[in-house]
Amino acid sequence: MYPKRAGRGACYQMNHIVYMSRAVRPLSDYDLQDLLAQCRRDNSLHQVTGVLFYSHGSIAQLIEGDPAVIEPLYDKISRDGRHSNVMQLVNKPIAARSFPDWSMAFHPLEAKGFATLEGFFMPSHLPPTPDTLSIADAMLIDLVRQAVFGADEPAAANLTA
Amino acid sequence: MREQQLQTILRHMPAGIATLLGPELRFGFVNEAMQSLLGGDTPEGQPLADHLGVLAADLLEVMQQVYSSGRPYVAKAYALPVAGSDPTSRRYLDVALEPLQDDEGQPQGLLLFAVDVTGQEEARQRAHELALETRRLDARLRVLTETAPQITFSIDAAGQFEYVSPQWYYFTGQPPTADVNAIWPLLIHPDDRLRVLYQSDMARSSGIGWNFEYRLRRHDGQYRWVLSRALPEHHAPDKPVFWHGAVTEVHDQRELAEALRQGEAELRFLADSIPQLIWTASAEGFIDYYNQHTAQYTGLSTQELGPTGWVNLLDPSEQAGAARRWVQCVASGEDYEGLYRMRRHDGQYRWHIIRARQLADARGPRWFGACTDVDDQHRLREVLQTQYDELARTNRDLDTFVYTASHDLKQPLFNLRGLFEELRSSATFHDPEQATLLEMVDDALLQLDGTLQELAATVQDQRELAAPTEELDLQSVAQEVLLGLRAQVEEAQATIDLDVAAAPTLVYGRANLRSVLHNLLSNALKFAHPDRPAHITISSSLSESGQPRLTVQDNGLGMTLVGSAGPSFLLFDRQHPGVAGAGVGLYLVQRIIDSRGGHLEVGSTVDQGTTFTVYWFE
Ligand SMILES: Cc1cc2nc3c(=O)[nH]c(=O)nc-3n(C[C@H](O)[C@H](O)[C@H](O)COP(=O)(O)O)c2cc1C
Repeated sequence: MYPKRAGRGACYQMNHIVYMSRAVRPLSDYDLQDLLAQCRRDNSLHQVTGVLFYSHGSIAQLIEGDPAVIEPLYDKISRDGRHSNVMQLVNKPIAARSFPDWSMAFHPLEAKGFATLEGFFMPSHLPPTPDTLSIADAMLIDLVRQAVFGADEPAAANLTA
Repeated sequence: MREQQLQTILRHMPAGIATLLGPELRFGFVNEAMQSLLGGDTPEGQPLADHLGVLAADLLEVMQQVYSSGRPYVAKAYALPVAGSDPTSRRYLDVALEPLQDDEGQPQGLLLFAVDVTGQEEARQRAHELALETRRLDARLRVLTETAPQITFSIDAAGQFEYVSPQWYYFTGQPPTADVNAIWPLLIHPDDRLRVLYQSDMARSSGIGWNFEYRLRRHDGQYRWVLSRALPEHHAPDKPVFWHGAVTEVHDQRELAEALRQGEAELRFLADSIPQLIWTASAEGFIDYYNQHTAQYTGLSTQELGPTGWVNLLDPSEQAGAARRWVQCVASGEDYEGLYRMRRHDGQYRWHIIRARQLADARGPRWFGACTDVDDQHRLREVLQTQYDELARTNRDLDTFVYTASHDLKQPLFNLRGLFEELRSSATFHDPEQATLLEMVDDALLQLDGTLQELAATVQDQRELAAPTEELDLQSVAQEVLLGLRAQVEEAQATIDLDVAAAPTLVYGRANLRSVLHNLLSNALKFAHPDRPAHITISSSLSESGQPRLTVQDNGLGMTLVGSAGPSFLLFDRQHPGVAGAGVGLYLVQRIIDSRGGHLEVGSTVDQGTTFTVYWFE
């Protein structure tokens, strides 16, 4: 659907994919921590960045990177037995990355020990939606975030820009 | 030797053998097996009654009866406590009691033969318990199958029904004697019959289950949608013998789903036929449907627009606000409404009212939205506004004209009356006819005065008199006005300097210009200083912005200006109660100038004079 990379070398395209899904059964702190560790390792290996939101079985994720990498990754993730009802919201080219690495935000049952975990955020401490995103994409992330965490978590600040 | 051998064999037999002799049933021969059964206490020659051991008294009684009757008896599965072990553990024996008789047929004793049948007995008891349990389960299954709101059935490989639950009879209204095999196919809706028979035949011949829907005739003759599901029961691998299944009525669900499908299709058709942008969004706020008109208007497909891409269509300055508002509305469930410019496929922005509302249908809450093109209305409103402004101005012009005309005509009338008074006092009339004539002239003048009063009302209706503009020569208009003011000029002994060289012409309404000049000049004459002859300077020039302006300067009484309030036509009146009638004139001047888009400025010093400057246009 979208133009593929021109070739190996200088010009290389970047896409982002956003989806929402439901966990098949609630993910425990341990499950989430495990996922965080695995994703941080594998994603940095493939220059994939993004963010994952989790709360009460609701999942939303944004991944950004080379479409040749993230499209197969998305296929793999969507077949992962830990969640179902995977609904892709967008897959489109972007000018630049909006997330510096790969992170996750959720409410751990046992908050102790998570504070220092790399790539982890309490939902209330999530940085505002990056303003490198277009207004349409920022709105998408804000809606996704609101859908996962509810309207009470502070909404993004960049839309006021 | 033979006897010896026989004894050995009998002793080691795996069945218990013993002889009991005489009416007292004294122990005779007791082999090993019998000894262990009886617990080993079997002293030869002693009566059994004294050494019953594990045997119960009832068996002893039976033995005595067998002895006296001479009729053999077999006690089947006789329970015997296991000697020397747990008192609850039992051993089961078939005990044969055979009377021993001498050659005369006289009873001599009993032959006891005991075979251990514990294994068989336990198996039998288990089988019995199982049978009980099976009956219980069977009863439960029967209750379930016969009370569940569905028809259950079993059918064999040849397609013959083995079992059909009573619900079939209730549903179809067939008598209990009905031949299910013959009648069931006839109750299937003719349009579905062939398909159903083919599908179930195919499933049976391939040894698989089935799952399909069809219409089945109910007792009242109505065809109801049912769902038939069955699974094969295999006895040998790959060789199903029976299919067990259930038929469930799904009519209402199906009708509902059908109605929903149809409703949705109709709504879509409607939405697609309307020349409006119609869309729906999920509860989370992601747009999942745009109607056809949206694609026509935007030139973008639903795919290209995406779940939030609509915001890109708005004027860039309005995007962030609209996005923020939408996120808030999705959170709170409030209606969304706004007036936005939306880009058309050709790049033109048109005004739209975007409205959305959250409604709940069978699938939960969803958003329904519409963007209504109000651009034409918006433009029409602008045109109307312009026309309205123009009309309002014209109206003011007319208004002004009424005042101006009546006011302007007052002066010549005033002159006329003055002249007439002069004439009356200086001339002498002898003819009484002439006195009447004078009265008539006086009356005529009074009448003219009244007519002038009414003019205001009369002229208001004559809109064609609204002052048209033309290029006017300031010099000549000013001279005309001064001519009309000749009497006042003389009275004030005024010197008038007229200098219009810097801007000799003006495009204006003639009557309006006359009115302005008339009022400013008569004002200057009216407020002349009693101690010195009046000196009035009229000049026309260009302002810094290149627009014409008119200055009228006098050396009269002057006034105190309050703050920066600018010219106030009431000031003269208040400050010089001795001089009447300046208010209306200045009011008119101000209205005329305002209505033409200019303004009036005034500078004044008490006892020195006043300067009015008319900026004709801004
Ligand atoms: C909600 C969710 C998000 C995931 N995100 C990622 C991800 O960003 N990167 C990744 O490598 N694996 C992710 N996974 C895990 C993959 O589905 C997969 O289990 C993992 O990549 C291991 O794959 P492998 O067994 O082929 O190595 C995710 C799984 C779930 C359930």
